[in-house]
Amino acid sequence: MNVPAIGAEAAEQLVLTALVALNDELPEEDRVAVSADTVLFGVDAEIDSLSLVSVIVDVETALNDAGMDVSLTDDRAMSRAVSPFTDVRALTAYILELADEYQ
Amino acid sequence: MTAGRYSGRVAVVTGARRGVGRIIADHLLAEGATVVGFARGEATVTDARYQHVQVDVTDSAATARAVRGVAKEHGGIDIAVNNAAVLTSQYALIMPAENAHAMVMTNLLAPFIVAREAAKVMRKARSGRIINVGSMAASLEPVGDSIYAACKAALTTLSGVLAKEFGSFGVTVNTVAITAIETDMLAQLPREKIDEIIAALPIARYAVADDICNVVDFFAADRSSYITAQTLYLGGVH
Repeated sequence: MNVPAIGAEAAEQLVLTALVALNDELPEEDRVAVSADTVLFGVDAEIDSLSLVSVIVDVETALNDAGMDVSLTDDRAMSRAVSPFTDVRALTAYILELADEYQ
Repeated sequence: MTAGRYSGRVAVVTGARRGVGRIIADHLLAEGATVVGFARGEATVTDARYQHVQVDVTDSAATARAVRGVAKEHGGIDIAVNNAAVLTSQYALIMPAENAHAMVMTNLLAPFIVAREAAKVMRKARSGRIINVGSMAASLEPVGDSIYAACKAALTTLSGVLAKEFGSFGVTVNTVAITAIETDMLAQLPREKIDEIIAALPIARYAVADDICNVVDFFAADRSSYITAQTLYLGGVH
C-alpha cells in the first residue's frame, strides 16, 4: 500500500491531539499537560489506565485513517521490557518505528 | 429517506446470511436501517440498504479492517449485533477438540473482536448499542452442549465487563438469550430433545422472529441508554 511517510513532528502531533481530545472528555481538575514530557504510563503517570486506552485508540485510529493498517497494542508492544506507552516521547518513537516498518 | 425506527442508523450484523442473523438483518432493514452483514459466505440478502462484507469474524485484523471500512463508508456504526455462531452438540467425552475450538473462536472470541472494534467507532459518537445473541443453553446447560453453553454463558460475563469499560462513552452492551427457533442450526439437533426442553419452559413454545426482534428493538432504542450489562432470556428461561 502506498502510504505517505510520517515524520517525528507529525507523529508527536498525533499523540498531542489525542491528549487534547482526552482533555475534552475530562473534568477541568483532571486535565493533563499537553506536552512531549507528559507521562502516560507507570508510577508517575499523569492519566489513569482508561484514559491511556483512550489515547492509544485515538492514535491508532488516526494511523488507520491515514492508511496504516497497524495495531499499537499487539503482542510486541505489550511484551516489551520498557513500555512504548511510557510517555509522549516513547509513544512518538513507537509510532515512527511502526511507520518505518509499514513503508 | 426511509421511515422507520432505525431510519438513518447503521447496523452491523454478524452471521447475517441465514437464521437469526438474517431475521435481525431483515427486521433492521424493514425499519429503515442501513445494514452491513459480516459473514464468511456470500450475501443472501438483497436490499438497497444492505451491504455484505465477506469476512471471518474470528480474524481480528480482517474484522478490524471491515469495521473501519463500515465507519468510513457510512460515517459511523450505531448498532452491532453479535449473532454469528457455530454449534456442535456432542457428549463431552467424544467432542473433538477442533469443534470445541471452533465454537470458542466463533461464539466468544468473535463477539469480543467485533465489540472491541465497533466500540472504537462508537466512542467517537459517544453512543452505540452492542447486542449479543445468547442462548437458553447458557442457563439450561443441556447435555451435549458443554462448550456451546459455556460460550453463551461467557457472553453474559463479556457483556458485563464491556458494559463497564464502554459505559463512560455511551455504549451499552446487552444480550438477548434466545430459545429454540426454526433455523438451520436447530435442524442440526435431535428434535425430540429440543421439544422436551421447550415443553418444560414457562412459556412452552418455540420462539418466533418477533420475539427476538422485540428485544433487539428494546436494547437498540435511544430510550435504553440506561440499560446495559443485561441478559434477557426469552420464554421465561432464567
